[in-house]
Amino acid sequence: MSTPAASSASASTAALANKFLVTGLIGLALTALGLFVATPQALALSYLVGVAYWTTVGIGMLLLIQIHYIVDAGWSTVIRRQFEHGLSAFKWLFVLFLPLLICAWVKPGLIWPWMDLAHEIHGGHTVGADPLYLKKSGFLNLRMFTGMTLGFFGIWIWLSARLRKASFTQDTDGNTKWTFMSRKTAAFGIPLTALALSFAAIYWMKSLEYHWFSTMYGVWFFANCMRAGMAFGVMITYWLYVRGDYKGIFNTNQLHCLTALAFAFVVFWAYVTFSQYFLIWNANVPEETFWYNIREHGDWVYVGMLLLFGHFFVPFLSWLRYRNKAELKPALIVSIWIAVIILVDLCYNILPALKDAHDEPLPFLSMNLFWVLTSVVGVGGICVWAYLKSFPTAKIIPIRDPRIVESLTHHEATAP
Amino acid sequence: MKKTYGIVAAFDTTPDFYHACEQVRDAGFSQWDAITSFPIHGLDAAMGVRRSNVPRFSLAGGITGFCTGMSLIWWTGASEYPLIVGGKPYFSPMFAFPISYELTILFTAFATIIGMFILNKLPMHYHPVMKAPQFVRASDDRFYIVIEANDPKFNPVQTRALLQQIGGKDIAELEE
Repeated sequence: MSTPAASSASASTAALANKFLVTGLIGLALTALGLFVATPQALALSYLVGVAYWTTVGIGMLLLIQIHYIVDAGWSTVIRRQFEHGLSAFKWLFVLFLPLLICAWVKPGLIWPWMDLAHEIHGGHTVGADPLYLKKSGFLNLRMFTGMTLGFFGIWIWLSARLRKASFTQDTDGNTKWTFMSRKTAAFGIPLTALALSFAAIYWMKSLEYHWFSTMYGVWFFANCMRAGMAFGVMITYWLYVRGDYKGIFNTNQLHCLTALAFAFVVFWAYVTFSQYFLIWNANVPEETFWYNIREHGDWVYVGMLLLFGHFFVPFLSWLRYRNKAELKPALIVSIWIAVIILVDLCYNILPALKDAHDEPLPFLSMNLFWVLTSVVGVGGICVWAYLKSFPTAKIIPIRDPRIVESLTHHEATAP
Repeated sequence: MKKTYGIVAAFDTTPDFYHACEQVRDAGFSQWDAITSFPIHGLDAAMGVRRSNVPRFSLAGGITGFCTGMSLIWWTGASEYPLIVGGKPYFSPMFAFPISYELTILFTAFATIIGMFILNKLPMHYHPVMKAPQFVRASDDRFYIVIEANDPKFNPVQTRALLQQIGGKDIAELEE
């Protein structure tokens, strides 16, 4: 039996879902209109940023759920359910990735230059005559790219379906076997997800400049995934708390645990990103340094500085304070900031592949940024809609999870 | 005659003890302590204890460590014995970063431990509360509240009455 309050809450969720769907469709339509205005390459790369951004968030949530199961965590049980709803976006992300895949087949080389063997590279040679390409051609070819991309989404969608089914079914039958099943899923799912996200980062982003190599790249992407997942976790928590769903359920200590983990990943992101830069700077090998040299042209140098201070120092110094971790408002502000700066980080990695006639990167502050924003709003609208559509299909928390009591009474319970 | 240290009272169950702490807190005492053999969730709030000041020591240690690392690399590589290594500048924050990072962690750890010792007045080999009757049971099955005589609200008669009223047993005055 649903109380009047519950039914009004579900009605408002449905209305909100529709709003996001409309916003998403408008964003996608605007992006599509860009075909008449922008160059196809600029538009495609901007759209790639949009899809990659929301995939980052989804992977983060998928990893958080699996880590929760593999370490048999208690405190995160109340938050886990929201991440499970978030996973429903993966199938849509796959659909939204299809235009890029079709583009790769119809016009090879438009987005990823190595797909077109006749593509002319710096110095007058073609990709097909480039020994640095030929050595990698077993890995970097259109068929591998297509198969791998289908594989990534296959892995993410499959794991999501398993984790969601186990958790949602447990709500009705209370059988602990679902918890054990999810633990097994996590045991093979974590390496699968890790491999898929690393290769996705390499194929989708790193191969835009296929001469370059960095062993840190997958780890860098992983760090962003985790940070994005937790940033959105705090935002969802805030929304549910303010709306009243989480009253009496969520307390300071669960929030503190979530933000403390996010804080650890601030440092982790800085560690791998600095390591990547430092090793390339120290070794000073032209095949590697060119990637950063491109990013010291024009306004990209300021974007790099923005990342250094905005992606590390600002969240690090704010979250050093206990209050900023344990109170919802400051935690929310820092999380929104992190969510925005992750987008800038993806732009920094993807967009400088767009070159002008002199083979120099197009600036960050340009029309391309507008197409990035329409893409992010478009893809994001669909993803949030998918989350909100999934939201009413299960209880607000996994009420029959064996660890739910432990989670609800996690240390002293005071309202955030 | 020796100076009075304070008044101690014993409690048998965790809930009694927890609520007694709340009442001592609400009575406005500041110089008092609760003694248990295991951590009780929420006792900090029941006692009205504010967050620890140890993080301030940690932050100071971290900043000191970072600056030590940076200046160490600058002093050795660019000031005391300028040496070109691998075509790099004499000093760059880039290669000074790993050592600064390590020293930040090291000094933070030291400062945290030292700060904890200072704030807890450790090492402390003698404490007047050890003289409370049957005090060994504090490490077994009993809980104690001790209100110190240097608390501005301390009054030998009224404080004893308060402890009695909130359910304290074996109430005893402690010598310094």
